[in-house]
Amino acid sequence: MGGSAAYAELQVTSNFSFLNGASHPEELVETAAALGLSAIAITDRHSVSGLVRAHTAAKRAGIRLVIGARLDPEDGPPLLCYPTDRAAYGRLTRLLSLGKRRASKGDCRLTLADIFDTAEFMGGQGQVIIAVPPREPGDAFKSALLKLCKNLNCRLYLAVFVAHNGNHVAYIRTLLEYEKTYRIRLVATNNVHFHIPERRPLQDVLTCIREGCTIINAGFRLAANGERHLKSPDEVARLFHDMPDAVARTVEITEACSFSLDELRYDYPTDPVPPGLTPQQHLVNLTRDGAATRYPGNVPDKVNAGLDHELKLIGELGFAPYFLTVHDIVRFAEGRGILCQGRGSAANSAVCYCLGITAVDPARMDLLFERFISAERGEPPDIDVDFENGRREEVIQYVYEKYGRERAAMTATVITYRVKSAVREVGKVLGLTEDAIVALQGAAWRRSWDDIEDKHIRDAGLDPNEPTLRLTLELAGQILGFPRHLSQHTGGMVMTRSRLDEIVPMANAAMDERTVIEWDKNDLDALGILKVDILALGMLTCIHKAFGLIAAHHDRRVTLATVPAEDAAVYDMLCKADSVGVFQVESRAQMSMLPRLKPRNFYDLVIEVAIVRPGPIQGDMVHPYLRRRNGEEAVDYPSGALRQVLEKTLGIPLFQEQAMKIAMVGAGFSPEEADGLRRALATFRRLGDIHQFQDRFLAGMKKNGYAREFSERCFKQIEGFADYGFPESHAASFALLVYVSSWLKCHYPAAFACALLNSQPMGFYAPAQIVRDARGHGVRINPADVNLSDWDCTLEPGPADAPALRLGLRQVKGLKQAVADILVAARESYGRPANLESSNSLAFSSLPDLQRLTNLSKSALETLARADAFGSLGVSRRQALWAVRGLNDEQLPLFAAADAAEIRAEPIVVLPTMTLGEEVADDYRSLRLSLKAHPLGPLRGELTAQGYVPCGELEHLTDGRTVRIAGLVTTRQRPGSAKGVLFVTMEDETAVANLIVWPKVFEDFRSTALRAGLLGVHGHVQKEGLVIHVIADKLTDLSQLLAQLDNPDAGLPDPAGGTMTVASRDFQ
Amino acid sequence: MVIAGSGGPRLAAVNRAAEAGGVGPGMPLAHARAVLPGLEAAGADPKGDHRALAALAQWAGRYTPWTATDAEGNGIWLDISGCAHLFGGEAALMADLDRRLTALGYETRLAAADTPGAAWAVTHFAAASGTPAVIPSGAQTEVLATLPVAALRLQPDVVEGLRRMGLRRIGDLLNVPRAPLTVRFGAAPLQRLDQALGHTDESIKPHRPLPPMRTRLAFAEPISQRSDIDAALGQLLDAMCRQLAATRQGARGLRLNFYRTDATTFEVTIGTSRPVRDADHLDRLFRNKLDNIDAGFGIEAMILAATVTDPLDPAQADLQGDSAKERTGVTDLIDRLGNRLGPKRVLRLQPRASHLPERASRPVSALARDDTPADPLPGNKAPRAPRPVRLLPTPEPIEVMAPVPDHPPVMFRWRRAQHRITRADGPERIGPEWWLEPPRALAGGQSRIRDYFRIEDTDGVRFWVYRAGPYQAGTPPKWYLHGFFP
Repeated sequence: MGGSAAYAELQVTSNFSFLNGASHPEELVETAAALGLSAIAITDRHSVSGLVRAHTAAKRAGIRLVIGARLDPEDGPPLLCYPTDRAAYGRLTRLLSLGKRRASKGDCRLTLADIFDTAEFMGGQGQVIIAVPPREPGDAFKSALLKLCKNLNCRLYLAVFVAHNGNHVAYIRTLLEYEKTYRIRLVATNNVHFHIPERRPLQDVLTCIREGCTIINAGFRLAANGERHLKSPDEVARLFHDMPDAVARTVEITEACSFSLDELRYDYPTDPVPPGLTPQQHLVNLTRDGAATRYPGNVPDKVNAGLDHELKLIGELGFAPYFLTVHDIVRFAEGRGILCQGRGSAANSAVCYCLGITAVDPARMDLLFERFISAERGEPPDIDVDFENGRREEVIQYVYEKYGRERAAMTATVITYRVKSAVREVGKVLGLTEDAIVALQGAAWRRSWDDIEDKHIRDAGLDPNEPTLRLTLELAGQILGFPRHLSQHTGGMVMTRSRLDEIVPMANAAMDERTVIEWDKNDLDALGILKVDILALGMLTCIHKAFGLIAAHHDRRVTLATVPAEDAAVYDMLCKADSVGVFQVESRAQMSMLPRLKPRNFYDLVIEVAIVRPGPIQGDMVHPYLRRRNGEEAVDYPSGALRQVLEKTLGIPLFQEQAMKIAMVGAGFSPEEADGLRRALATFRRLGDIHQFQDRFLAGMKKNGYAREFSERCFKQIEGFADYGFPESHAASFALLVYVSSWLKCHYPAAFACALLNSQPMGFYAPAQIVRDARGHGVRINPADVNLSDWDCTLEPGPADAPALRLGLRQVKGLKQAVADILVAARESYGRPANLESSNSLAFSSLPDLQRLTNLSKSALETLARADAFGSLGVSRRQALWAVRGLNDEQLPLFAAADAAEIRAEPIVVLPTMTLGEEVADDYRSLRLSLKAHPLGPLRGELTAQGYVPCGELEHLTDGRTVRIAGLVTTRQRPGSAKGVLFVTMEDETAVANLIVWPKVFEDFRSTALRAGLLGVHGHVQKEGLVIHVIADKLTDLSQLLAQLDNPDAGLPDPAGGTMTVASRDFQ
Repeated sequence: MVIAGSGGPRLAAVNRAAEAGGVGPGMPLAHARAVLPGLEAAGADPKGDHRALAALAQWAGRYTPWTATDAEGNGIWLDISGCAHLFGGEAALMADLDRRLTALGYETRLAAADTPGAAWAVTHFAAASGTPAVIPSGAQTEVLATLPVAALRLQPDVVEGLRRMGLRRIGDLLNVPRAPLTVRFGAAPLQRLDQALGHTDESIKPHRPLPPMRTRLAFAEPISQRSDIDAALGQLLDAMCRQLAATRQGARGLRLNFYRTDATTFEVTIGTSRPVRDADHLDRLFRNKLDNIDAGFGIEAMILAATVTDPLDPAQADLQGDSAKERTGVTDLIDRLGNRLGPKRVLRLQPRASHLPERASRPVSALARDDTPADPLPGNKAPRAPRPVRLLPTPEPIEVMAPVPDHPPVMFRWRRAQHRITRADGPERIGPEWWLEPPRALAGGQSRIRDYFRIEDTDGVRFWVYRAGPYQAGTPPKWYLHGFFP
């Protein structure tokens, strides 16, 4: 570097100025360090969102980061603003918040008046500001400069850069004149937009994406050259050889602006603490009170010891306010009757159980608290709370109300370019046709970027050597992971004691009544700022509804915590894979795991939840675990130290914590390093960190005497976990919901099915399967009816004391809730005196009667008629439809009381009677299910003739037997972890069958496999204990039979699309 | 063929192979590709389809003047009342139609019936491909009764409503009392039924082609004198310009056909650089080309047709009665040169938005339609460095003395003349257009940059010179002269 002057780059646009900068903050910072710059600033437009990443990278690379942002006032030149201290930083973020709060989402509107006069910014006091001149400075700029000199309350500089645009001499002369006239010092910058010259093409592509044009048509919107990259001090000295002072001033500014993000001391809100108590004292009191409630009589010694230990640790680390904050939110939800449950690393503690944050009894589990927060790690605790999905907004608004807009906000999520969006946008810029883009996306689909081979591109019908295609892939690869915009995190909330907008700018979210900060979860973690995730979970809604039904119809009151524990009947049920509707373990993969794992206690459920995940599946941990569990393989440990880590799971790592722990115990990683590894794997696959970690890991393992082969396997497992692993603490919270929902299904099948139906859409199964399953468990299901159904499904007295389930009008496709409400209200106000014995007790006695009392529109009545909801009036579907269509749309008041039939005497029309097949088909059209028959029932004769046996026969067949079955396809799955295998679930009137289609067969019958609604299978039976699969050899599309079902007049072409279809849920 | 729809592109039509592969219209493209990975898709062109159908309807005018495309946009009506005998009866006409359409590469479904409705129903729901069906007069009730109600050209929701009542075939409708049916399904089903059965009339609205811009002159005695031809041309042009004025068009291309007495023809065409309906100007353009025509044994007819026209608003006539001359001497010259030398020989430059000087314009035929986009220079608003008035065809190497590599030259030698520089500004750095050179595009072209300087010598002559490539210690830089400033 020789004797060149020190230089700091102060004008840097990163890719967090969306579509303006072409490098990640990390890349800029690392390159600046490598070039030997004395410091670097990141000055994104109206934003600090890239600063935390830059901050972390700068610390790692050993270079000073100058904190700053670029302000673009609407009536003045751009200003680069650098706070000199913490207070000035707070003023800058408040100014940005002001501009953002008054603009629409993603925008910021500021004027010079805001900068000069507002109390938020104090005229720039404590800032260093650099004004950026336009390309051809003129009178407008001159007068703006004058204004800045007069009104700014801080050091003001003028940026000068060598723009290489042909008027350098004149430009410099003008700026030197300003320097003299206004006594504003010039400071050298390179107006950096990317870190290396090779990013010029990407920069041009970003410009085109921003402008919505192709590269061919971009014209002068592109820069003439690629000069806006980082330059070494030598080069800068050469460029500014006639202005050494301007170069030296960069260092001067750097020294003045010593503020670092490390100074952001985060302070917990302390609102819930009563006066006179410290947060810790208050937490101890609350916990002790809670323990007394949780364990009436006496608290078990084990729990007491745990509480002492945990409280001590919390006290040492000063986390009490955090627990109190979460407790306060949970208590609010309880008060409103909103069901909730905590999860996350700190949630499964005795303290959280006693505070009511979770319902997992620590006495039932053996989770070590240290694993979640430990003194030496200094990692903040993490608690996510799930709420009923319909009512989460109440909780969020409560938090806003309690802390005020200045002190609470949602966290951001950085939406980044994914493979699909990257290929699409780059392809569009380079002029690829829509067709080529779609094909290329297909080739890249579900593959990591590095795995796209020429073969895949050729398979997509494209030539991998075509230069534009290559270019598209290369540039799309570069843009991958670039932030596109900020969005709000689903539920992460940050709360502070002092003003949050002095820590980070706040903006309006897309949703009204929400504010969102600029940093995401990783940024907050890096700065040690705590957040609470307020999430929504459909199953909690369902459980809450089921609890309500049990209280109303069985007079039994239960809560998450008081559902009887370890009920053998519940585990018996789960071992049989009888789990339709149950939380988490209802998927096809979980269902085939249940009879193999045979869960008998709560911890088995924790494992069950965690094991059927891409992480363990791809890491090939499932089978070894099952073999060890069934005693088919010896349980051994590579070392005593790892035994400690893996003992609970028989030597096989199943949880994310274990994977991290292997890195620590096995390879000697520090907790920070292990966490860094997790983050590196989860976020930035491209930055090359991974290889560094891998080398470090393998070396560490070797040093501790582990075999190379074992170490490599471990690292692969860790890789799998980073993306798709499940922490034990999460699994434990989920396992409780598995248990509770199983218990409900086992003992109160009608109430459970009813609650499930009323919580749709959720879970894995459609109403038809839920109803079918409930019937299989002896629940009587009554049809939806205008006289008897509410909007929701309800329970009504059934035979032999067991309640029957009455389908609600919500099942009727196309019916609005308002219509059902009118109907129910009318029933209540006009209901005849209750006389259960006579049909007179029905509110509506005839169709005209109903129309008169409810004044419902013809189309609403027709929707009801299609659903065959007039059964209680003794009117068939077809009669009802005919009658409804014949009604007058407006009621004539004069005739309101008269019988409509008398007014319009009509000739009697005899319509054909509906066949069972037609009824079933119409049921499916309108209700997506039929109580009258399974669609395959009426077709059985035809199916038998074609050699298909009922699915119910499968259990009587021996392993390996060839068989022909047919069924309605209910789900299709092609999980990424199964390498092209298609799993199909199908059903007929007798049973559900599970089909496995291997890739070879799939390719041969691709169209049929993906399209057939009614599938015929020629295959053979595979039995493994209770698990029965049919391995497909040949597939036949029998959908024509369904058309026949609906069309008694076979052979009639029906091009109007009236054929009945059965929607399957397809997952890929 | 795909068409944009909600939730991504959907298939609009498929060929036989795709159909056999299990995909069909209405399917989302992404889904279709999952089913049939090799599927090739192209954008559908409904307007083009309709144009093609309209053209076919016009073509069918050979059978009857009454032809039309149907409202559904997928078929053609022919009213052959009173025409069939010309072709040997209905069956023969149909066979002829089928043969000709097949020869044109179409697959046909043809039916003839007493009513348009019945013919439509049979073509869409009963006729086999390539086998024309002739429904005997009066037999439509019988034929239609077995067809589905959709054959009555009813809206899908009406068809669905009827299906729900169990009324699936047209025959089912015949037995239902009319009044209740109308109350429930509106007038359409019975109206269509009556039309199909012939109880109510339905007329075919014929397709009318636009009159072409054509004028014709036939001579009682064949002419061969140049003066006669010129006079005839004058008449034709006057008539043509009146026609153009009436439709507010101007001619961009004209074709003059000559019909000789020996039944041979020849033609002369001209083009103009912008729409014209000035007979004098057009006359001049034609005359240049009539110099060596061979009238043979005489010309008995001349037809003038406007092959290309563009809108041209009427011009205001001044008080002398002369219409204001819109064209200038230059455009007249361009037209005359262009028509004499050939349209591709006379060029004009169209600006193009490129930083690279040699790519900043492109030559186009002076007679071509002006297809310059509304914003020819996107991004032009930003200030840019000045460009020389004169550019050398290729930059010429010069010998340069420059003190520091980043500095402008102090002296240079070009074509053996020495120039001493007194004033200079720059550099303006221009990178190559990397996207035009894909194999090495990703480097961003940093090695092929040019640094341009504006310099002035002691005589006050201003030059535009550049240094090629970035400064590299040890390698003497290469300099070029590229242009001159005024």
